[in-house]
Formats: sequence, C-alpha cells, structure tokens
Amino acid sequence: MALAESGRRVLVVSTDPAHSLGDALGRALGPRPRPVPVRRGTLQAVELDADAALARWLDQRRDGLATIALRGTYLDREDVDRFLSLSLPGTDELIGLLELARLARASPLDDVVVDTAPTGHTLRLLQMPETLRQIASVLDDMQAKHRFLSRSLGGQYRADSADALITEIEQESSGILALLRDAERTTFSWVMLPEALSLEESRDGLAGLRRSGVAVGEIVVNRVTPPPPGPCALCEGRRRSEAAVLAETARALRPIPVRVVAARDDEPEGVGTLRTFARALLGPRGRLPPLPAPGSTRKGTPTAATRRSRGPTAEPWWLSDLMPPSRRLLVFGGKGGVGKTTAAATAALARAADARGGRVLLLSADPAHSLGDALSVRLGDDERAVPGASPRLRARELDADRALAAARARYRGAVDQLFDALRGGSNLDPAFDRAVMQDLIALAPPGIDELFALAAVTDALTQETSAGAPSTVVLDTAPTGHALRLLALPDAAREWVQALLSVLLKYRQVVGLGQLAEELVDLSKQLRSLEALLRDPARTAFVAVTRPADLPRRETARLLDQLDAMGIPVAGLLVNAITPPGCARCRRAAAREEKHVRALARRFLTGAGRPMILAPMIAPEPRGVRALRDWGRTWRRFDPARRP
Amino acid sequence: MVILIDSLIIGGVRFVLDKVVQAVDKELSDDTVLREELLAAQMRRELEEITEEEFARTEADLLARIRDIRERNRAPAPPPGEMRIAGVEATFAGEEHEEGAGEAHDSEGADHRRRR
Repeated sequence: MALAESGRRVLVVSTDPAHSLGDALGRALGPRPRPVPVRRGTLQAVELDADAALARWLDQRRDGLATIALRGTYLDREDVDRFLSLSLPGTDELIGLLELARLARASPLDDVVVDTAPTGHTLRLLQMPETLRQIASVLDDMQAKHRFLSRSLGGQYRADSADALITEIEQESSGILALLRDAERTTFSWVMLPEALSLEESRDGLAGLRRSGVAVGEIVVNRVTPPPPGPCALCEGRRRSEAAVLAETARALRPIPVRVVAARDDEPEGVGTLRTFARALLGPRGRLPPLPAPGSTRKGTPTAATRRSRGPTAEPWWLSDLMPPSRRLLVFGGKGGVGKTTAAATAALARAADARGGRVLLLSADPAHSLGDALSVRLGDDERAVPGASPRLRARELDADRALAAARARYRGAVDQLFDALRGGSNLDPAFDRAVMQDLIALAPPGIDELFALAAVTDALTQETSAGAPSTVVLDTAPTGHALRLLALPDAAREWVQALLSVLLKYRQVVGLGQLAEELVDLSKQLRSLEALLRDPARTAFVAVTRPADLPRRETARLLDQLDAMGIPVAGLLVNAITPPGCARCRRAAAREEKHVRALARRFLTGAGRPMILAPMIAPEPRGVRALRDWGRTWRRFDPARRP
Repeated sequence: MVILIDSLIIGGVRFVLDKVVQAVDKELSDDTVLREELLAAQMRRELEEITEEEFARTEADLLARIRDIRERNRAPAPPPGEMRIAGVEATFAGEEHEEGAGEAHDSEGADHRRRR
C-alpha cells in the first residue's frame, strides 16, 4: 500500500495456502488480481489458489507432457491422462513460484510484494527452482530416447513441441533462481515476534535463506510491548523478556538491520489503518526503543498469571476433554505464532504424567521446528526421552529431508543393480531408461514433510508397546495451510495408489503382479485405516489454537469450517495469550480480546460438549518441562456467563 | 507409509525388477498362479471393483485350492540326485530382454514341469 502510494504500480501476492491478505486489506480477494483503492499509484492484490493454478498450468501443457510420457515410458495415453489428472499434494510451493512469475509478467508492474507461508514452507518454496530443474531433467531423459531413435531412423532430429516444453521449464527454473538471488531485484524482509521461540525459528530460517542465496534486507520485530502507562507486572515482565530477545536478535543476526515495531492497540485491518502502520514499518529505522535491561532484578519472577490453582500433582481439568483414554492422535494446529507448539508440548506432558496411560510420542511435523526450543531440550529425528518429564514421553522433530535421503540411497543402489542385471553380459546398456530412473529418484516429491509426518504417525500408532498400553501421538503441525494439507494427504495418496493398482492390473499379462502389487495393496489398506482414524472422534481430535485478535480469529473460523468439511473431529479450541488484569492498557486490551473470544465462542460452542480453553499470556513465555506444566494448570474453561 | 514414497518414486523400477526376478526364479511353485489371483482380488477390492462379500468368497475359494496344493507338495520329496529337469516349456509374452542362459519361461501361468 505504501509503495503504491509512493506512485508505483504494485502487485501484492499471498502464497500462504491459509491466506490472511484479504483480512489485512479488509476486502475479499481471489486468484485473479483485484484492484485495491489507494491514493496514488496502483495496487492489485491476489490470493493464490495452488490447485487451480496447477490445473491451468497442466492444461496448457497436457499434450506436451503426455507426448513425452508416451515416448519415454511404457504407458499408453489412457494411463498417462489418468496420472496427469490426479491431484498432486504439496504443489502449493511449486506452483506458487510459477504463478508469481506469470502474474509479474502479465501486467506492467514496478514491484511485486509477496506474503509468504510460515518459515518451513517458505524455505521449501525457495527450493522449488531446483525441483523444477529436476523435473525438466527427468522429462529430458524421457525425450532423449525418442531423439536417439529419430536420429537413428531418419537422420537429422528436428526439435518439436515436447522439446520446447522442456526448454520452457528449464528457463523458468533458471529465471526464477536468478531473480531470487539478485539482491538488486529481490529482497526479503524477515518478520518475527519478540519471543524466544520466534528468535530460534528466525536463526534457522535465515540460515536457510542464506543457503538459498536470497538476500535479507531487514528483520522486522513486530508487536513489541511499549512502556506501560502505569506500574504493571505483566507489561514489565514482557518488556524484560522482549529486551533479552531483542538484544540477542541484534547480536545473533548481525549484520542484518533490525526494525522494531511497537504493538498496536488493534491489528491493522483495511487500507486506512494500514496507512498508520506503514509509518512505523517504513519510516526511518531509528534506534531500538529504550527497554529495561534484560538482567534486571525481577527477571524470571512469575507474573500474576502463573499462580497455581491446584496442587502440583493434580491432573489438569482439560486432560479428560482433550485426551480421554480412547484417544490415539491429538493434532494441534493454527496460525503461525499463536502458541501451537507450546500448547502441544503442555498437553503431551500432562498425558504422559498419567500413569494409567501408555507411551506418548510428541511429534513436530513443522519443517521449522520449535518443539525442542519449547521443551528446552535438543531434539532431532530420533525420538528421545525428555529430562524432567515422565519416561513414557518421547519427543521427536521429524526430518523429512533425512528420511528422503535414506529412501534415495536405498533405491539408487537398487536401480544400478537392476540395470546391470538387465544388461547381463552384453554391451548394450539401456542408458536412457537408467537416466530416467536415476533422475526420478533424485527428484524430491512435493509435500515430503506431510508424507513423512503421516508415515511417522502411522509407525508410532502401529508399534507394539511393551506395557501393552496403546500409544498416543500428540502432533504439532505446521501452520494452518499445511496442517490442512497434511490431513488431506491420505485421500490424495489413495487416489495415486488406486491409479497405480489399475495400471498394474491392466498390464498384468505382460509384467505380472509381483511385489509392487502386494505393497500397494498393503499401502491402500493402511491409507484406508488412516482415513478412518482421522475421522473417528473417539480416537482422533484436532485442537485449534488461536489468539484473541482479528486476523487469527478469522483464520480460525475458516480452519474450523474446513475441518468440518473434511470430517475431522475438533476436540477443543485454545485461545492463547489472554491478557490478565494489569495496567490501563492491559485492561483495554482485555476488553478487545473479550469481543474476539465471544465471537469465537459463538462459532465454536454450538451444542457439542467440547471446551473452549483460555490460556493466559505470561512473561517470559513458558519454556521447559516445569514452566509448561505450570502454565497448563492456569488454563481456564471459557464460561459465557463470566468475563474471560 | 514410507512405502508410498518408495512406490511413487520407483514404481517403474519395480515393474521391471519383478520381471527380472520372475524370469530368474526357476523354482516357481505350483500355487503361484493362485496366489496371484488372490492378489488380483485384493487389488480389485482396494479399487472397489468388487465388494467385501465377493472378495471373501473368492478368497475362501482360492485359499482352499492353495491348501490342496500344499497338501500334495507335502508328499515325500524325491531323494536328491534322482530329480532332474526333463524339460522346460515356455512362451514369452513380455518385452525382449537379455537372458544369458537361454532359458526363459512365462511369468504368467508358466508350464513348468518337474519330472522324476
């Protein structure tokens, strides 16, 4: 908005599958650019629809792709069309970049501003030029055999539309990569919160950006607490912990300049309020505002909100609602930065503390992991016990890249073995087929984070436990858009499995059925039982986590609608960071929050006996087993008759 | 679930691998055809081409026939040395590929006779 009003032609695009851009601009947006009224210049806004964009992209290239597949594989047109019509889970990132390039070309523009998905999937987005290049390479391998045969039969080879398509994809890849890596043309503004978890995520995220060769122009620390109007334990506590985070941010992320944006009374919504926000965001960067020294005397003193309401051993009231003994899978999801990870860790700790329960696996499936930071332990892909917690609790941060690398290593050997076997003693090497297979294995399928997360959940739930008690998985997901993608994956995967089964049955007379068919039948059964598990309210439940503010509330309403549409049961709604009584500003904040809480209650508390949980804002934010446990004891049930 | 990725990535490899394995495997047991029928029935069930009831009937029938073959195979085996392969009859329906030993057999319904 501010760029446009400086007299430029600007397009703003949201690539996050859970869009909030329309909410921020205060108007309905769609996949086609819509004008946003501004005082000077022009502003258009788009919320990408990856599925529709993929369908359009494929439609325009269907013949070329089919030609290449027919020439390079043993499938017929019917098979190829069937595979081309399947939905491809995880294409948001791939198609996001292609659409950006297309939109930027389509109309004369001075600037394209991109609102990305949260950290983990934005890093995936930046890997997509490489994925595109690999796709072009696989297609080129398939086409190579055709070129060779044409040359052998007809002399000179003349490039056709299939070759043009391969060149187009290659050029798209290198063009986007060059744009992303050109600091003159592309700059990245990294936005974070003044919280310890956000800083840790930023460290990892910025390292990822560095690896991708993308220049970061500025770090924006948003929602920093201004000095309170009067004495206030909460505000002062927050300012102390924020000061520590800000000092560490400036130190750790040097030399990138840091801009501090003060928390506003309400979130900017609509062009009018954005204008005042723009002054803080785009004005002179200035100096960091004066903040209390991080090491001051009252550091670590729990604020009023951490008072214990019960003895330390009592089971928290919400445990039986969120995790009755029958529950196998509890999924935490919501917008970025609302406290999903902290809430998931708190729930898992409470479940594992119950001696009657079985093993609990606390699994983070967000490629930008925060779980280890929330628990204050170093976690990795191998699950481990958490010091200070029950030995029944194990925690793991899923590493999809590692799982994929292991799968690749297994099959690279198998492919070589296979082709050596095919070659037998002869000199003839099926070099073309070998190249196709080698490049296919090098290609990372889209949505690997979701794929391996489901694999890990299934593995954990089917594992035998020594005590005989069944295990429970508490899943901390990536923010909204990708959590929904994860839950939709079993359906999409089963379509693929069914397509493969049909092809196998069709060519049964030629190749027989064999082990692949057996594995696909097993996989199909597993996917069916996973689909059933995800929709069984006794065994599975989703907990939506949100904050009592405008944008998170709207996103939560859409999340709940989509979960309903998918038939995924929702066990609870956790509204986090409720401001406790404090100074005049805190009281104003609490009054605004109450409106949002009541609006959420109207949407959520509709008959079903599921709780809406209010969790207080505390400073510093809870980290580590003990702090999380204490925080969980302060969660309250929302009572419409009382002020939240 | 990891199998999903495996299958998608190297589905094509497996096609061919199976062919090789089948071509090389000269110890094809007699119930192979029936087992493959059973697998095909499972596939049709997963594709929802047949109902659970139809599948249960087919499965019961095929399992009974597989049991019969097992019973027959359990008859005393010939002492080693006395067994020899008198002949292999084969038709090949797949694509061509190199076979060093010059022996090939059909992967589907191989007429594979073992004689004393």
